[in-house]
Amino acid sequence: MTKAKTKLFLIGYFLVLFGAVLLRIDYFPLSWVPMYGFREESEFVTVAVGDLKRRDLGFSAVRANGEKLFLSRRDLNMPPANFRRLYQERAFGEGPPQHARERAALIAFNRWWYETLIGEDPAKTADYPRDILNSVNRTLELGPDDPRRIVQLEAHLDFATFTRAHLDEGDLSNPKRERRIAIITPEGTSLVRQPIDNFKGAPIDG
Amino acid sequence: MADYHPRHRSIVDRFFFDWFSGETLGAVRLYFGIGLALYLASQYPQLLILDAFGPQFHYTIPIWYFHLLGIDHNIPWLNLPVMILMLAACLFFAFGKWTKPAIIVILITMFYLKGVRDSFTGDVHHREVPVFALLILFLFSKCNRVLGIDARRRGSQGIEDWEASWPLRAMQVWIAFFYFWALMAKLRVSGLTWFENGGRIQETLVARALRDGFTTNGEVANLSLAWELAQRPDLIFLCGAAVFIFELLIPLILFVKEWRWRLVLLIGATMFHISNFLLMNVQFYLYPLLFVVFFDMAKVHRALKAKLRLRAPASATAA
Repeated sequence: MTKAKTKLFLIGYFLVLFGAVLLRIDYFPLSWVPMYGFREESEFVTVAVGDLKRRDLGFSAVRANGEKLFLSRRDLNMPPANFRRLYQERAFGEGPPQHARERAALIAFNRWWYETLIGEDPAKTADYPRDILNSVNRTLELGPDDPRRIVQLEAHLDFATFTRAHLDEGDLSNPKRERRIAIITPEGTSLVRQPIDNFKGAPIDG
Repeated sequence: MADYHPRHRSIVDRFFFDWFSGETLGAVRLYFGIGLALYLASQYPQLLILDAFGPQFHYTIPIWYFHLLGIDHNIPWLNLPVMILMLAACLFFAFGKWTKPAIIVILITMFYLKGVRDSFTGDVHHREVPVFALLILFLFSKCNRVLGIDARRRGSQGIEDWEASWPLRAMQVWIAFFYFWALMAKLRVSGLTWFENGGRIQETLVARALRDGFTTNGEVANLSLAWELAQRPDLIFLCGAAVFIFELLIPLILFVKEWRWRLVLLIGATMFHISNFLLMNVQFYLYPLLFVVFFDMAKVHRALKAKLRLRAPASATAA
């Protein structure tokens, strides 16, 4: 390449990579934002309080023939971190970070191209729990007429809610704690909530 | 910096073309390639622990190019050969053997393994974004004509200084602005609330510390350091402020000629990535290996070779 062509190449290179920043494109290999670059301010912050033993057991599952079983990450043959996200986030309706921030605070032009070329906001239209159920049945090669197909999945998890005032003081000792059970069926997902007292946890039963 | 020779030319020419000698690009390629092998090896080990011939998990949210290509499930036995191929390509690239094809193999295998890792649950990580941007520059440069196996065999005459300089300067621009845009992104969508009090950092620390729950003793099961720090919003605010200042000012590194100052700035960046790993398990800790593009690695290479040569006769005498 001559110097002139090199300059043209550099203009094109930076136009594409930095143009993606201006247009807020977040499709690998282009990106405009770090993974945790978005914060929604709220009076309360709710986080999952995991339970390694319970998560290792996996989802409580029910087959179409009524048989009950557990489906762990080993049954689904997936990495531990991915299974954690499936069990603790997607099952409770929490999408990946890029969905949560994709349409946040968009300027008019960027909103236009997102809505025109990409379509609806995935954070509003996706059904993450249903995706898990579909994926589990396809992974285990269980068709719609198979009596062994999974018709219900349950994820059991505690959540702690901290107030903004407590967080600002650094006081994490006494959040409001709640046990939630996500019950995922082909018809939809329901959430059972049970308040609990002990922040540092009683074991979660299957 | 010794290799900086400003002349009466345009700013663009001086910025991109006058910083490094021809040999530097080959030396950077060598050390960058070795670092890249280590960096990429740290990104996908979780895919290798799967049962090679066990169930093929059907992705819940495939990455866009998997979706486009109709790749909807994991093929566990394939991950190991792809990983080996990728690491071998990194070494071929580093040592200048079939350099350009090796870059293309790295890109394809990285896209594949990243796609596998991120499609299970749809969390698209950004750890490969810098690698892609920098490899594209290597691909379009003459990095294959200096300090490599092919260059030596073909008796390459080397390249001109400007031909080595522009890709390295463009890499520096990209890396510096990777941080700068990260700050702009936070301000665009969240404003200063991202930093206020403990801000987003505190929320992430709490979420990360609690995601594996507590032990029977009432201690957090993992990331206890994150849990401790989450209770110090004043300290977190200072960390956030340091990140703000670092990300705002890092483009200035592009104009710093003294290598020691650049080293100080990049040690700051390295501490940032290692802290993120220790506190939040963010797997960017080997990313600083790619910072070799900020230094005249030809000098480092010559110094290392001289040391090794000095050591070899000494050890022979001792033997």
